[in-house]
Amino acid sequence: MTSSSQEKPPLLDVKGLSVDYGLKGVPSRAIDSVSFALRAGEAVGLVGESGSGKTTTAMAIAGLLSPNARVSKGEVRYRGEQLPIDDDASMRPHRWSETSVVFQGAMNALNPVHRIIKQIAEPCMLKLGMSRGEATARARELLELVGIPADRGSAYPHELSGGMRQRVMIAMALACRPSIIIGDEPTTALDVITQAQILKLLGELRSRLGLALILITHDLSVVAECCDRVMIMYAGRIVEDGTVAEIFAQPKHPYTRLLIESIPNPASGKKMIRPIPGDPPNLVNRPSGCAFHPRCPSVMAVCATEVPSLDQFGRGRVACHLYRSSQEDKVAVHA
Amino acid sequence: MSESTVRYSQRGGARAMKGFLRQFLSYGGAQVGLVCLVFFLVVAPIPNILVGPLQTAINATGDFLAPPSGEHLLGTDEVGRDVLNLVVHGARISLTIALLATVISLIVGTTVGITAGYYGGRVDVWLMRLTDFFFVMPSFVLALVITPVVLEVMGRGGEILGFRPSPFVILVVIGLTSWAFVARIVRSQTLSLKERTFIDRARVAGSSNFSIMVRHILPNLVPQIAANGALVVAGAIYVETSLSFLGLGDPLQPSWGTLLSLAQRAGAASAGAWWYLGAPGVCVLTVSLSFVLIGNALDDTFNPRRRVIP
Amino acid sequence: MPDTADILRLESLQVHFPIQGGLFDHVLGRPAGAVRAVDGIDLNIGRGEIVALVGESGSGKTTVGRVITKLAQPTGGRMLFEGRDMTSVQGSSALRPYRHRVQMIFQDAYQALNPRHTVFDVVAEPLRSLRLVGNASQLTERVSEALASAGLNPPGDFFARFPHELSGGQRQRVVIAGALAVRPGLIVADEPVSMLDVSIRAQILQVLVALRDKHNMALLFITHDLPLAWLIADKIAVLYLGKLVEIGSADDITFNPRHPYTVALRNATPQVGANAGRAELRGLQGEVPSAARVPKGCRFHPRCPLAFDRCKQEEPPAIEVGPQHMSACWLAA
Repeated sequence: MTSSSQEKPPLLDVKGLSVDYGLKGVPSRAIDSVSFALRAGEAVGLVGESGSGKTTTAMAIAGLLSPNARVSKGEVRYRGEQLPIDDDASMRPHRWSETSVVFQGAMNALNPVHRIIKQIAEPCMLKLGMSRGEATARARELLELVGIPADRGSAYPHELSGGMRQRVMIAMALACRPSIIIGDEPTTALDVITQAQILKLLGELRSRLGLALILITHDLSVVAECCDRVMIMYAGRIVEDGTVAEIFAQPKHPYTRLLIESIPNPASGKKMIRPIPGDPPNLVNRPSGCAFHPRCPSVMAVCATEVPSLDQFGRGRVACHLYRSSQEDKVAVHA
Repeated sequence: MSESTVRYSQRGGARAMKGFLRQFLSYGGAQVGLVCLVFFLVVAPIPNILVGPLQTAINATGDFLAPPSGEHLLGTDEVGRDVLNLVVHGARISLTIALLATVISLIVGTTVGITAGYYGGRVDVWLMRLTDFFFVMPSFVLALVITPVVLEVMGRGGEILGFRPSPFVILVVIGLTSWAFVARIVRSQTLSLKERTFIDRARVAGSSNFSIMVRHILPNLVPQIAANGALVVAGAIYVETSLSFLGLGDPLQPSWGTLLSLAQRAGAASAGAWWYLGAPGVCVLTVSLSFVLIGNALDDTFNPRRRVIP
Repeated sequence: MPDTADILRLESLQVHFPIQGGLFDHVLGRPAGAVRAVDGIDLNIGRGEIVALVGESGSGKTTVGRVITKLAQPTGGRMLFEGRDMTSVQGSSALRPYRHRVQMIFQDAYQALNPRHTVFDVVAEPLRSLRLVGNASQLTERVSEALASAGLNPPGDFFARFPHELSGGQRQRVVIAGALAVRPGLIVADEPVSMLDVSIRAQILQVLVALRDKHNMALLFITHDLPLAWLIADKIAVLYLGKLVEIGSADDITFNPRHPYTVALRNATPQVGANAGRAELRGLQGEVPSAARVPKGCRFHPRCPLAFDRCKQEEPPAIEVGPQHMSACWLAA
């Protein structure tokens, strides 16, 4: 990955990105020094629990941060060019045409009083300067693309099932021909079978249109099915980054390992799962050092004081003191 | 049920209260409203200490329609009574009528609203028809109908709860005509509250319908009731003023509305006696405005439209 | 032969919600339809048994849970609890003994807690309502015990807290504590972990399993997640459009499903593990039909990849395909 990025810039390059929220005047860090690169056509899963910063990361990349958020450090480059993610007005031409977002609650994101065809055609007219007729034709095309018969375009959002509405959201995200789609928990509210349909659709669209996909989810198994790479976030930082095959076969960070072990897996045959003790930290009081240390079974003295950096380890990256080869005197204390 | 007091909650309760007050007092309107209101609430209960007993035509001391002077800060009326004396006594009558009427209105309105919303079906239909009836009932007509009945029952000189017949009628009429507004708001809130999962949980926990209404729905209605209660008081003061102005007040227990009515009849406007009309008028305006300001601030505190969540 | 070991028996339980026809339909005498949310299910739950009820949204799984907890009234069939017919018992005082034995845990713990009640009030509510304690010290003792069993230690620290002061996992523990405070024989848990963070889920599941192991409580675990059902349950019942399509031991349903719907459900579930890689998700086409228009014959036939003529005509009965394993599919006959 590093060798290829020297030849030509990656599609998306996030470097040391930190975002703060102003909570009652006190800035609190939502994400801290997030760095990663995304190649064209790549599918990356961004996995974390609530408050881990996965949604903030995605919203920052898409330039959709809420007004009380502030980018305090770092930058986002799209094809080598820096994006003005902090500036609402200058970000406007980039939004939806380079990076677009499929949100979780399709019912809230759709206007209940307009036919869906109109809602898909609207961004085409506004962003691409199409005439009404062209935009409607484009909208019909998009509907077919996401597997909805174009005639269903005259339906209102409430007449569609949850899966159908999510397809409409995908069609809207594709309207301005972006090269990156960010799915923010796109299947969380859906049933298993509908979820499978939507994930399959995203996979097909990816290969047909050469899209890169950033899939934000709390569900590792969804990532296992449809991503090449996975990044695990905890308390605002990426703690592990690697290919799906590697991470599931040999998770390195203790958090990743426990997370995988806490998913029921009939194929493994083991019936009991090991709970991770404690609660995920919130934005305001984050533990010192490695944020996971109070819950970590392999915690060492250094973990409470020093923040581990996200370093190359094998073919992936991991932020854990256990994998710093320089420290040979470390003693693992098992909880 | 037997011991439904919320125990062990002082710490959390006090903290919640503190947060609420900080938020509430951050609104400028709330501060203005509270200051005005506290002023009138301090003045109203102790008129005898502040300005002496209520003056009548017999013990009046001043000239007729004298403008404000050192002796009579707000001038005098057409029989020589001190207007300041009348206005301060009027505060007691006006505020008592408005607050008691609001209490009636809130109790009736909340009871009807919760019952209709919680039980639904036929109960809801009939209670809401009744509410609609009172909603469109003009208070003046109702007062005209009730007055003879009350006079018949208690006699011209009698008193109920310290009220002479006319103020009592006004009190009852305002209570009866304003509860429908409260009932509608409470019902619509109850309709959405009863779909919440915690109501299901309470039913599974074995709570009776009454207990669910009192312990689960009512506490969650407090914000709406408080905010709208303040608006009801403001409305009650206006209705009281209008009814008294139309001649339904009692000269022996003069409210601000009665004073306005007396001033009107004495030709204060044409005689240029602005103090006589202005003093009670400004009082009515200030008090109802402060209740509206407080009501709006309460509403904003309880339902912040712009809550910042990361 | 009736099995007296069962704590709860549902016999062709049916819940139909009438559709309000318009005035026009009324005048013309058109019959108003019904949403057949639960359309005749038979299910037994043994003492201390964990049964998972698996289905998609619209399958009627939540309605079954609401009928068992007496939040909804069945329109047909019978419900026997410890041998007594509870089908038509209604009213909070008549239901008191039943509430004492059957409790519920909700999906969204935040919604299930009154924002104005403290943790103590929440857990004490069933004890007070059901008149299970005589005095205040007994009440405090029972509340402490329940909070401790739900894993909130030390209990006294939580008494005065309000729901918004707790984490998601702690809120669900409070709901669990409220349910087990009365020491019930059966707890209905409606998707109790689906709203929780992944790292918290296992903690909550452990609490639920411990209840069975320590107090022999039976659990009806309602979920849409087949692997989760396999993990926690002894027995799994698969519900499709208001009817059970397959029922059997957790291992049988997971490793040897005999109904095409169960197979589809299993295949649609994303798999974790090194071997998972890129397995194509073989899902079903289409979506669950509306319970107001249940297809004729086998209700799964319009989406079934294996459907044949008989499936369109006749509704298959539950057919025994193995020990304690039934499938409502003509292919199993």
